[in-house]
This record gives sequence, C-alpha cells and structure tokens, in this order.
Amino acid sequence: MEVFLNSEYIKPMPYLLEGLVYTLLITFAGLFFGFIIGAFTGLGRLSKNKFIYGLSSVYVEVIRGTPLLAQILFIYFGLSQLMDINMHKLVAAILAIALNAGAYIAEIVRGAVHSIDKGQMEAGRSIGLTKGQTMRYIIWPQAFKRMIPPLGNQFVISLKDTSLFSAIAVGEMVYKAKTYYATTFTPFETLTMVCVLYLLITIPTSIYLRRVERRLDV
Amino acid sequence: MIQVKDLHKSFGKLEVLKGIDAEIKEKEVVCVIGPSGSGKSTFLRCLNLLEEVTSGEVYVDGESLTDPKIDINSIRSRVGMVFQHFNLFPHMTVLENITLGPRKIKGYTDAQAEAVALPLLEKVGLSDKARVYPESLSGGQKQRVAIARSLAMEPKVMLFDEPTSALDPELVGDVLQVMKDLASEGMTMVVVTHEMGFAKEVGDRVIFMDEGIVMEEGSPNQIFEDPQNSRTQSFLSKVL
Repeated sequence: MEVFLNSEYIKPMPYLLEGLVYTLLITFAGLFFGFIIGAFTGLGRLSKNKFIYGLSSVYVEVIRGTPLLAQILFIYFGLSQLMDINMHKLVAAILAIALNAGAYIAEIVRGAVHSIDKGQMEAGRSIGLTKGQTMRYIIWPQAFKRMIPPLGNQFVISLKDTSLFSAIAVGEMVYKAKTYYATTFTPFETLTMVCVLYLLITIPTSIYLRRVERRLDV
Repeated sequence: MIQVKDLHKSFGKLEVLKGIDAEIKEKEVVCVIGPSGSGKSTFLRCLNLLEEVTSGEVYVDGESLTDPKIDINSIRSRVGMVFQHFNLFPHMTVLENITLGPRKIKGYTDAQAEAVALPLLEKVGLSDKARVYPESLSGGQKQRVAIARSLAMEPKVMLFDEPTSALDPELVGDVLQVMKDLASEGMTMVVVTHEMGFAKEVGDRVIFMDEGIVMEEGSPNQIFEDPQNSRTQSFLSKVL
C-alpha cells in the first residue's frame, strides 16, 4: 500500500484532480452557454429571413473553419487588446468553449429540427397555434430527443478541447500536469494519469450515449 | 361559409391552380374529386393558408384570407384540417394531442380541456385510448384521433385532405363512419377524396377538378350518373 501511494503515478493526483475541477467547470459552463448560442443559431440557419440566416451561417462557418487554438488565443489576447481590458483566463476559456461548441451545436440543432416531419408544423398551425407555439410545444420536444446523442458527443469533444487552455495557463488538468512534471521529471507517469482521468469520464459517457441512442432508435 | 374567387396558385413556374371559383355554404358537405396532380389538395390547403395564395381571393367566415392584416391563427382555429398522414404529435398522449389546442389557444385549464376532449374521444369510439401514445394505434384509430383533435377547437368548417388514402382498406370504414356522423350533425365539410362511395352517399355537392381548374360540379347524382364533361366521364369510368 505504501509502495502504491508513493508511486510516481499517484503522487501527482492531488494536482491533477485540482485541474480536473477546472476542466469540468469550463466544459459544463462552456457547453451551457454554447447550447444557448447553438439553439438560436441553429434555428437561425433554418430562418427564411436572409439577414438572420446569413449571420448564423457566417458564424458557423468561421468557427468551424478555424482551429480552436487560434480562437482561444484570439479571444484571450486579441479581444483583450481590442477592448483594452484584462480578461480573466477562466472567462476567456468558458467563452471560447461556448463560441466554439455553439457553432457545432447549431448544426446539431439545425439537423434535428429539420428532421422533424413537415406535417408536424402543418398540423400545429392548422389547429391555430402560432409558428413559435408550434416550435415550442411540438417541434422542439421531438427534435431535442434527437439532439441528445450528438450533444453527448460534443460534450466529449469539448471536454478534451479544454486541454488547449494550457496554452493560456488556465489551471486545467494538462496545465497542472505540465507544471508538476517540470519539477519532478516524471512526464510519463503524470501524463499517463492525465489520460486515465480523461478516459474515466469519456468512456462511460460513450457507453451511456450508445445506450440512449439504442433506446431512442434514431 | 367559404367563397373562392379566381384562385391561382403557382409553385415557381408551375401553375397548379388556374383560376378556381367555388362557394361552400354552411352545413354543406362538398367532395372534391379528380386525378392525382389535379390540384385538389393544393386547393384545400389554400383554404386555411397552409399554401400561400398566388392571386385571387378566399373568404372564410366572411374574412378575406388574402388581407395582409388578417389574423390567420384565429381563422385556422375555426377551420379544422385532417391530413392524409394524420400528423398526430408522437410525443404526446392521445388526450394531450386533443387538449393542446384548447389549452394553448383558448386558455382552457387541463380540466376544462379534458371536458371537451373526452366526449370527442367517445364520439370517435376511442374512449379507452386517452392515455396511450399514438404509436400504439392503428392508422384508422390515428385518423379518428386527428379528427377529434380538430373538433376540439370547435371549428365551423372541417377540411379533409384524402383522410382515408393512407389506410389499410379494412380500416377505412370506421373513419368514414365518423365523417358521416359529423356530416349528419350539420358540420360544414370539404373533403378531398378518392372514396366515390362516400362522395355519392354523403356529399351534397361534388366538384371534379383536373389540371388546376374545376371541370364540372353538381349534385352527386348529376356527376356520377350523368357527367357532362368528357374528362369527368373518362375519370369516372376508370375509378367506378
């Protein structure tokens, strides 16, 4: 037991777990805002209004066409310079995940809403519901079910993406690992444990999602 | 109840309705028949603006649908529509399907809405299905729920768009029976249908459409026993 606890694999754990808290915080907060952004932009991509459609499309294409690391640096350094402020790292990180995931979630939302049979909208409108009411009570609940599996995927992707925040010294797991092994010279053991911790979250998530997917049969 | 004047409808360059004039009186049952692609479904869908009208005028209950100031949602709540593919809401129980309109549009409480819905379910013979989801129903049962859902808004007119075309033959009868009952209660109905027997028996008037115009109209007797137009004759000789 003593040997195990003193092993180079276990010693970094307190640091890594501290980092994991940040990793999860950024992921959940980022995805929360990302979902709001994605829901509006996804519906915007289905809008007949050319301005709304155009704006949503430009956003989605810009985000999907540029690397996340560039987006992170742009938000943290670029926006800080432009607005002449000192942006908090955590705010920058959450904003970056929100904006990045928002674009991918927009496509998830667009696809799910689009996949609902046209007759559902017609049936809602024909009993006298407005477009908004039909969306809210009829289309969205059905579409949301279909979004669950791809949203889970996005969760896994964004969780892993938070490792890039080590580039701006946000204290997430990878950054904690780097600072730890810089003094202990045990990068192999430390990074092994980083991967183990990631996998402890991602693998159960994937298994759970596959089960949901089967149940929904979509 | 419904007046249609010189109604035109185009999809892009394709003109589907080429000037329709029609009038549907209160308590009248009008059956619209004709070959596929004749524009009869499009005509019906123009009556509650599920299709935008290209030109011409449609009056429902005295209000012009082409008036830009019209509150189309209020008109639609007075015009019931039943679709070929039922279009029930799969994530709601049968009862929720029927009470949605009264709850959200008329502002009924759950109890008030159920007081409207349950007698309607009984009327269409599905009292025992109130708590189930649509996926467990047969096509004929789904269509009867769809009719009850429309009736829950207490419409003044009911539009039926080939209501039995997607059903297995042995399920058609129950749906037609519900429609017959409705007609005998004095509901104004416009029915696009391939059921010539229904048109003959229940229709007060039959409209024969082909290529986007009304070729012939008259009482079921006139149309089915003594059609004047050669297209009507050739269509009926194929379907009867």
